[in-house]
Amino acid sequence: MVSINDVTKKFSAVVALDNISLDIQSQEFFGLLGPNGAGKTTLMNLIVGYLNTDGGAITIDGDAVSQDTLELRKNIGFVPQSLALYDEMNAQENLEMFGKLFGVPDAVLKQRIADQLKAVELYERRKDKVKNFSGGMKRRLNIIASMLHDPKVLLCDEPTVGVDPQSRNAIFDFLTGLNKQGKTIIYTTHYMEEAERLCSRIAIIDHGKIIALGTTDELLEKLPYEETIMITRNDVTAKQKAMLQEFGSLEDVDDHYELKPTAGFKLSRFFARMEETGIKYQWIELHRPTLEALFLQLTGRRLRD
Amino acid sequence: MKTIIQLFRNSYRIFWNDKVGVALTFLVPLALMSIFGSIFGGSGAGPQGIRLAVLNQSSAAVAKEIENALDTSKAFQTIKSYKDENGKQVLFDSVSIKEYVRAGRASAALILPSDAYSDTSLGLSLKFYFDPKNDIEIQTTKGLIKQIVFSQFPSIISQSGFKQAERYLGTKEGEGFKRGIASTLHKYFKVDTNAFLHPNFSNKLSTGNDSTKKSFNFMDKIIRIEEQQLVGQDLKNPWATRSVGGWAMTFLLFTLTASSSSLFDDRKSGVMLRLLTSPVSRVQILWSKYLFNMSLGIIQLLFMFVAGWLLFDVDIFSNLFNLLLIIIAASMACTSFGMLLAAFSQTRQQAQGLGTFFILTMSAVGGAWFPTAFMPPTIQFFSKLTIVYWSMDGFLEVLWRGVGLSSILPNLGILVGVSVAVSIISVRRFRSGDIFS
Repeated sequence: MVSINDVTKKFSAVVALDNISLDIQSQEFFGLLGPNGAGKTTLMNLIVGYLNTDGGAITIDGDAVSQDTLELRKNIGFVPQSLALYDEMNAQENLEMFGKLFGVPDAVLKQRIADQLKAVELYERRKDKVKNFSGGMKRRLNIIASMLHDPKVLLCDEPTVGVDPQSRNAIFDFLTGLNKQGKTIIYTTHYMEEAERLCSRIAIIDHGKIIALGTTDELLEKLPYEETIMITRNDVTAKQKAMLQEFGSLEDVDDHYELKPTAGFKLSRFFARMEETGIKYQWIELHRPTLEALFLQLTGRRLRD
Repeated sequence: MKTIIQLFRNSYRIFWNDKVGVALTFLVPLALMSIFGSIFGGSGAGPQGIRLAVLNQSSAAVAKEIENALDTSKAFQTIKSYKDENGKQVLFDSVSIKEYVRAGRASAALILPSDAYSDTSLGLSLKFYFDPKNDIEIQTTKGLIKQIVFSQFPSIISQSGFKQAERYLGTKEGEGFKRGIASTLHKYFKVDTNAFLHPNFSNKLSTGNDSTKKSFNFMDKIIRIEEQQLVGQDLKNPWATRSVGGWAMTFLLFTLTASSSSLFDDRKSGVMLRLLTSPVSRVQILWSKYLFNMSLGIIQLLFMFVAGWLLFDVDIFSNLFNLLLIIIAASMACTSFGMLLAAFSQTRQQAQGLGTFFILTMSAVGGAWFPTAFMPPTIQFFSKLTIVYWSMDGFLEVLWRGVGLSSILPNLGILVGVSVAVSIISVRRFRSGDIFS
């Protein structure tokens, strides 16, 4: 569906994307995960044809994308990171205005606007000016404003920035529903929880390069350990810090230690040692490793550094 | 107190970081001060280059001296001939000189008729024809002409007196009478006899001191100036007819600069990004903005002229078609100006600041507030480079003089030409600038 071949993009001397290649399949919920400044938004801007590449090519269903391929944009919905709405217009007027730019016939547009507003629970507020909306409401409107032309592929550039948990969940449900209906979604985020929850396949991007690609499970298999062990920090565990470090790398995180086991780690042996040293089981939690851990493993930095 | 000082310093830091803002804070008043100063006495130059048609039909020496004084006065650019249909230079006669003023090619005309001064009359008769399209300029012109003519007063009165003496006493006795008067004046009042007997007609402007002013009423009886308004005498409200165009232009420029700057709002809010990720090209966005601004300008100008009609009886219907043409051309030019500012600015604040600077300067220099003739020659040159000048001139031609299409073609051509040229520059700049990035 979306094919990115050896794409490079530079801004003066800064290389924003460095020879990136990706293939995103139809109906996939694809995630681009990386810290701020990694090149995610630049890649989205290239896919939608807002920017031109400095090298390589991007195609959608075989058609090359560029700033001049205006017709091709009818296949793409782009949800920008910013709230790209007219504050002084009401929700319905905003949607009508953006929908008409894509040439959607009036009758179809009217119906779609009503359907989409209902889907994101804004139908009752359709006559209210956008400036009176909450941040979450604006975010939801921002998303549906990008899909009134019924695009094949929806590009979401960090669509939940600054959104409360309730609205975030509503957005997740809405996007998941769209994907189930057959929409291809490309989603950028620097929240690994979002990527893990939503995306069937994820590319981790850093300094303009793809450093890992696969499903969440495939990515986590790249880690040398299968679980992360959290141990409550208290007088007893503090005295046993040296012993804990025998099992892997130990890190102070908030009110606990985080143990990332070394290769050959045996859980049975670990619990036996805990028992011997007086560390209670209820002070220990086993967690499946996260993409954050993988990013740390691959780059030596946290996602939000 | 520490907090206040900290906040105070912070305000200066923010102000100082906005270099354009800093420049405008001082540049706008400096520019306006310079313009006003040069007009109202700062440079002491006074009005310069007022176009005055002159026809001297008199053979009297005093008439020639007045003509010379007008020719050498910096205040006037005297014109004595016109180009006929064949492009041939033809000297004015008493009919063509009036037509010249009616056509708006000179503000006023002064005729020194053949009987302006005669041996048998006491005093001087002149004819003054004028077009009060610019009232301040005409009042000034009248004043300056009177000063020049009155500066010849000693010659006129002495020559008239001597001529009368010669008539009644004979040439020989008359000469004796002159010498006697001169001798008495020299003896008791230390007056230069030679200067009295052979007056040197001054070609300098009278300084207009108190004694001169007091004697004006008296001198009015000696020097008779027959005045006739050639244009606009039927207008119900000359003042409003004259000023509505200037005010309309100033406000139009403010409106369109603000409107063009809304491109920055679209960029800031992200709407520009949404538009550019729709099937919309950059040129289409610029065209839509241009057309919106132009139509807004037309609506605003129409509104102001209709208001002028409703409130002040300005006649906008007699020459409506031509008025509409000038309105469209002025809106096009002002829209292009607004787009140019937006194209070369980095932020809305910069565009607004630069807009304020250029609008006030253009309005002042272009003659929206006071006659361009009051400005130094250099500024008068720049005046004709402003869209305010050509728009206002077009409005006056249409409303004041009621001219036809052919007369406003230069105005239309210049305004549309400026609009096209400036728009091309703007579009190029927009494409390479960062409004779309």
